[in-house]
This record gives sequence, C-alpha cells and structure tokens, in this order.
Amino acid sequence: MIMPIPLENNGPTMQDYRCSAQCTWCDGCGDYGIWTAVKRALVELRIAPNQVCLCFDVGCHGNGSDKLTGYRFHGLHGRVIPFAAGAKLGNMKLPVIAFGGDGASFSEGIGHFVHGVRSNYPITFILHNNANYGLTLGQASALTLQGQKMNSSPNGIPEHTLNSMDLVFALEPTFVARGFSGDIPQLTKIFKAAIEHQQHGFAFVDVLQACPTYNYFATHEYLLGKCYDANAEGHDPRCEAPKARALAMDTSKKIATGILYQREDVPNFYDRLKPRQGKKTALVEEVKEFDVEEFMKKLA
Amino acid sequence: MSRVVLKIVGAQGQGVNSIGEICAKGLKRAGYCVFGYREYMSLIKGGHSCHQLDVSDRRIGSSETKVNILVALNHHGLNKNVGEVKDRGIIIHQTPQWEFPPDASDDLRKRNVIVLYLPSEDILKKIKGKAILGNMLIASAVWSLLGRDADDLKKLVREQFERKGEELVQMNFRAIDEGFTYTESIRVGLGGGRIGEPWFDNAHHRRLSAAAPADTGNLPPSNPKWKDHMLITGSQAMGLGLIRGGCRFYAGYPMTPASPLLTFIANVQNDTGMVVKQAEDEITAAQMMSGAMYMGTRAATGTSGGGFDLMTETISLNGIVENPSVFILAQRPGPGTGLPTWTAQGDLLLAIGSAHGEFARCVMSVSDAQDCFDLMPEAFNIAEEFQTPVIVMTDKHIAEGLFTQERFDQEKTKIRRGNLITDPKQLKKLKSSDRYDPEAANGISPRWLPGAEAATYCAQGDEHDAEGAVNETAKNAVAQMEKRMKKMKALERMLPEPVLWKMENEKWKMKNDDSKLDLLVVSWGSNKGVILDVLKEMKETMGYLHYTYLWPMKTDRLQSLMKKAKKTVLVECNAQGQLGMVIKMASGIDIKDRILKFDGRPFYCDELSSLLSAASAIRHP
Repeated sequence: MIMPIPLENNGPTMQDYRCSAQCTWCDGCGDYGIWTAVKRALVELRIAPNQVCLCFDVGCHGNGSDKLTGYRFHGLHGRVIPFAAGAKLGNMKLPVIAFGGDGASFSEGIGHFVHGVRSNYPITFILHNNANYGLTLGQASALTLQGQKMNSSPNGIPEHTLNSMDLVFALEPTFVARGFSGDIPQLTKIFKAAIEHQQHGFAFVDVLQACPTYNYFATHEYLLGKCYDANAEGHDPRCEAPKARALAMDTSKKIATGILYQREDVPNFYDRLKPRQGKKTALVEEVKEFDVEEFMKKLA
Repeated sequence: MSRVVLKIVGAQGQGVNSIGEICAKGLKRAGYCVFGYREYMSLIKGGHSCHQLDVSDRRIGSSETKVNILVALNHHGLNKNVGEVKDRGIIIHQTPQWEFPPDASDDLRKRNVIVLYLPSEDILKKIKGKAILGNMLIASAVWSLLGRDADDLKKLVREQFERKGEELVQMNFRAIDEGFTYTESIRVGLGGGRIGEPWFDNAHHRRLSAAAPADTGNLPPSNPKWKDHMLITGSQAMGLGLIRGGCRFYAGYPMTPASPLLTFIANVQNDTGMVVKQAEDEITAAQMMSGAMYMGTRAATGTSGGGFDLMTETISLNGIVENPSVFILAQRPGPGTGLPTWTAQGDLLLAIGSAHGEFARCVMSVSDAQDCFDLMPEAFNIAEEFQTPVIVMTDKHIAEGLFTQERFDQEKTKIRRGNLITDPKQLKKLKSSDRYDPEAANGISPRWLPGAEAATYCAQGDEHDAEGAVNETAKNAVAQMEKRMKKMKALERMLPEPVLWKMENEKWKMKNDDSKLDLLVVSWGSNKGVILDVLKEMKETMGYLHYTYLWPMKTDRLQSLMKKAKKTVLVECNAQGQLGMVIKMASGIDIKDRILKFDGRPFYCDELSSLLSAASAIRHP
C-alpha cells in the first residue's frame, strides 16, 4: 500500500515530529507501531507539532511522551482523560489526543473513562491495550484473561476479564474503533478518523498491541492471525449500535478491526453548554478582568 | 457597640433561611449592618437549623451567644434554644397550646422574657394561604416587633415575587398585613403600648412579667451608609472574585462547605459564559482544572478536606510540571466525614504539607467577603507568576456566613500573568529547552501555551530536563529541584508580612509601625471578624496580627511585635494550634498562650471577649 505522506513543503513532515530522545521500549513492543501511526496521522492531517496537544497517561506508552514533538503532557496514572478534557475545553481550537494503557484506563481510571465516553468530550482517546501492566513488570490488568498467571498472581487471576467493548457500548459512544499495532497503515487511517471525530465528541480507539515481555497469550503472531479489517469486508460504522456492539464483542473466532461504530448526530459536551452558544473565542482567549457590576447590583 | 440579635430556629425545610434572608435584606436596606450565621445538620429535611442575624449600626463581623428575639418555627426550638434568650428578650412561636416545662417557665419569668404565640395556622386558614406563606407571616410579625414599616417589607416582596405574578405578591401582602395586625392586636391588648413596654396576657400569649420592659433589641438609629451595601455570602464573594479575576472554567464535586461556590458559579454561568463542570469526583475536578490551566485559560476547583485529600496527587503533579493551578479548600471539622455542616480551621497543616515530594506552593486564607473577592484574582496571579499550585483556604463560617459588604472596587483587580510569552516574535525565538531552563532567574522560566507558534515541549510529570524529556541523572535531578525550590524563596520575598490591625479613634487601622502593645492577638481566616469585634470594645493598646499568607511562612513582623508586646495570644479553631505550629517550625518561636476551639462552632464575640480578658490577665513567670 502506498502511504500518502505529503511531499510538498507547506505541510508538516514526519521529520518535524522527530525528537532526539531515544525510544526505550522493548524490542517488538506494539508501542512502536502506535507511535509511528500517530505521527503519520498528524502529518497526513497536516497538523503541525505546535498545533496539537498530546496527553499521556503513566505506563509504557507514557514513556513515549518525550519521543516525539508536539505540545505534550505526561501526567498521573489513570488520570489522563479528565486532564485532556479540561485542556480541550480550555482551547477548543486545538486537537487534543489522550493516550492511556489498559491498566490505567480500566482500573485506576475507569471512572474517568466511563464519564469521558458518557460526557462525549471532544477528544480522541487511544487505548494502548496490551492486556497487562507492562511498566510495573507484568501484573494482571482488568483486561488480562481470567486464570492467566501473571506477576503478583502466581495462581492465575481469580477475577473474570472485563469485556471492555461491552462496557464502551453501554456508555452510548459516538466513535468506537479497534486497531492492531502491527498494521500501521490501517491504524493511521483509524487515527485520522478519530482525530477528525473530535468535532462530534469522544473518539475511542482500542489498539491491540503486542507485549513481547509479559503477554504470552495475545502475541503479535496471534493478533496477526485473528485480526481482520471489518470495513474492508463491508462493515458500515454508521450501522445500529447493537450490530456494532455484537461485532466488537465477539472475538472468539476473529477480531474485527477498523472503525466499528460512528455517529455524528450527537452534540459533543462543549456544544451542549448553553453559556458557550454562539461564542467565537476559546476560553484561553478570554482571560481578562470581567465586569461583575451587574451581579453586585443584584446583591444590594 | 449596640448589637441586636435575631435568631430563627426550626426544622430544615421549614423556612428558617427564607425568613432570615428577608429580615436581613430588610434590615440592611433600612440602614443596618447585618452579620448572618447559619447552623444546620447534615440532612435535607427535619433536623434542627438556625439562622442568626446580628444587627448593628456599626460594622459587625461576628455572632453573640445570646439573642434578643427568638423565632421558633417548631416546638423543638422552644426546648433547645430557650436558654439563649437574653433577659427581657422575646420568644415568638407558632406551636398551639405550648407549655414550657416548669423549670424553664420559672426561669423565663425570673428573667422577664416575653413569650408570644402567633396562631399561624388559624390566620393562614382565614386568608386561604398555603403553608409556605407562614414564613412571610412570621417575618412580618418580627418586622413589626422590630418597629419597622410594613411598606418596606412589601417593597422587598414585590422585588422578589413580581416575576411570579401579581397574585402571589398580593397573597404575600395579605400575610404581611395579618402579621402586623397580630402584633398591633397585642399592642392594643397592652393598652397601646409600644414594643419595649410591659405587655399583658391575653388568650394567645402570656405575660411573664409586667415589671420590666421587653428588650426587643430596640435598634439603634440607622446609618444610611449600609443601605447600598451588598448582603453577600463568602461563597458568593469568592465566586465574584474568581469571575473578576478572569476565571473561565470551574470544576467541582459537591461537598459542604465548598458546594455553595459551585452552585453560585453554576447559577451565573449563562451571564459569565464560563464553563462549569460538576465532575464525577474531586480527582477529575482537579485534573480538568489543571488541563484547562495548562492550555492557558484561568480555571479553579474547590472542595472540602476529604475531597482535597483526593486532589493532592494532582497538586504534586502541578508542582513538577510547573503548571499554575488554583485549589480552594473550604474547611469543616474532620477527621473522616467529621461534622459536615460545621466550621473549623483544622486543615492548615494539610494545605501546607499535602502532596508527595517537595515543591513550591502558596497557601493563603480568606477571612471575610472582602478578602474572598480580593484574593481570588491574586491567587491566579501568584499561580501564574510562580507557575505552581496555589491553595486558597476558607471555611464553613466564611463560605456560608452573610456579610454586609460595600461594593467591591473593581479597579483594584489587576491580572498579572508572569513570564507568559505571547508575543509572536518572542515566541519564535524560544527553544524547547527554555521551558524548564534551570538557569532561569528565581527559577521562573518562560511559559508558553499549547498552540503557540513556537518550539514545543513536554509538561513532564517524571523528573525531566529543560525541555521536558525524562532525565534520571543525579545532576539533572538536583538542577531541576533547585530550580523549583528557588521559586519558593522568590515567592517568600514577594509575599507581604501579616497585617497588624489596631483601633485608632474608634476606627480600625492597618498599622505598619510596631508600637508597644498590651496584648497581641495572632490568628488567621474567619477569626478576623470576631477578633476585631472583640478588640473594638477593649483598650486601644491591643492589636491583632492577621495572617493572610500562610505558606511560605513569614515571621519577621511577628517577632518584632512580640518583642514589644506584653502578651501574645494565639487564637485558632483547631485542637493543636496549627498556625502556632507552623510559626514555630519556621522561626522556633513558641506562642504559649493559646485559645483554641474545636467544637464545630466559630468563636462568639462574648465568648472570645471573656477568654481574651482572662488570657491578657495571666502573667507567665
């Protein structure tokens, strides 16, 4: 497949996203693929590094916060979604992409995830899903298979595995996609759509990624064999939610990837705010002394 | 100072607050300074709640333990609050066939307290009014007892209910007329006597003594200067301060006593255009505020102790990424859920010591409505100038206290954004490594906002180098820690010393000289109101040193004043004397005389007056 990276000078290039810091991920880590696809998506959307805000959670993926350029933020474990939402509400003119792992997003930060989808914040959330806590050396996450032996779970984990797609669809999302870290061209396409979806609300991208060090049950080869491009096989993301939900949840034989569900007829969080109706400025442009005379009159 | 105290007590949901509010507004309009204090329990309906109004022709900022007029909306109030009525005071109630227990009855008789029964149910039946109208009925009876004019009350009613239709206005007018008729009938029964003169028994109320005139709190002559003042709660004042200071985003999670601020900001959002978010928890609120601040707008979050505990990790994060951020900590008594609807100053050590790691922070505390307005823009200014978290402390007593406050001088508000680069030419010159440049003067490196046409950087929560790349070397760790801690020193130099208040010619003055004092009172936060009220009545050789800025802690002024003062007393609403502990930590000075209170109530002026008199008499060997 030919990658449509613009060659002319007037747009950003992959070089612009290059950073001097060296990658520290394990050989064969899925983060390389995601990292590359994110940069490609931004370049193809002609978004320069100074025109984007990239927010990273804590985990292996978060170690990528200084491996590319852009206005970046690397915060607390589990808390990236509210930070990114606050950032976006502060300046609606800037695309905001949040990155989080399955450990942070479905355990410590699951409340934020639930309310993020429910609120339909105008941000993109990319889930680095390697089904374990890599950076803390391979403990079970809520998405690890039940019974799997992991660090600190020598007898296998007793909890059943959380069905993340079932949860997401219960929250009435407006954009759900799934990708695989081994398919950079498809990931690029998905990320572009997910960034463009921000105008409509919360775009959730579940990226299945290999963890060569700790994940022995869903390896690169396993995912390569099971994932297929559902859109290429005719799946229309603008279908009814139950159909997309069933497709997303059933991973027993094959794993559907691509844009699984999308709707653009629901206003995003910001567009629902009455005080912001008709406002042309962003909050960041409104920091000045505000006249409170009228309020004082009412209190007299 | 002449002070008249009116207290309305009853079950929550019975109208205690609406009666209090309408009386407060009417009295203020008539030319009085009103200080309102509310007590209530952590439940929605039932329980026992109070709204106390202390009224004077002079500035007043505290409550007294004894009341002139007690309005009891139910019989629980008659039992619970009867002891608070002053000799020759009045109790007005609406409980049919009420009899005090013999002991209480004897006591009231001895103390010449007058008890009036207002047959609300009968009157409402007569005018076919709904139960809610009983509030206006009793308010008008009180209004009449205070010797005020019915028309003033009607004017207020029209203002309040006009938009709900003329019918409602007229119903309220009828209730007001009935209230006045009732007190008038008593007067007639008394032979046309005015309030304040001996009254007689009739079928509904009883004269407990004819010997002495009732002390209804005959109000002193009014002072027109109060008429144009606002009646404002600390939370409203804080909200106005936030709005004035350019705050465009507020995120919070409901928790008393921080909720009224969230409510106020939310209620005016259509006028301010602000984004107001009731978050799913305090961590979310803190993170959303931090994200909005990182993007470059002004944002704040507010909570009470328990919620603040949840926010502390985010405070620490803002410390290392050098993100300006504003946290409002509205105190109530802990630990745990504690006394949710009561007041305390038990979280000073929390504010100063919260969050892991070492970083620069500013802790300040408001004391009254004026401070609430003035300090909010300043909190943002300091946060942006020093690129670090600022914690603004308040407490239930301020947040829900009702202040008679002159219109805020808006011209005083100046927005300062510190080393924020916005000029396109300057932005172009920036390197990524300027963002956290350890060589920056005072540790304050340039800050520029996402979206700016400039080199980009990472706001990095891991220890990082100058451009925000993770760096775990020893040398870098020291350089960045020193950079951030330099800001603390710079902040300490910039912050003002605590302010000395002294009476001069019957007026409060903020003094810069360190004259000799018989008594130096040291305190912070909401205690200011009561301390000034108490010292006003004492000798002019007493002074009050008020700490607005609590961290970094400055003690030079305190030390110099203490040397010249015969006696120094620390006053705080906590069990350990936390300000004293911080002062000792910073200077080694131990203020031994301490007046501490930690029962969930604020200091009352009569209470503090006797405590301070006793303390000033103690001589240490």
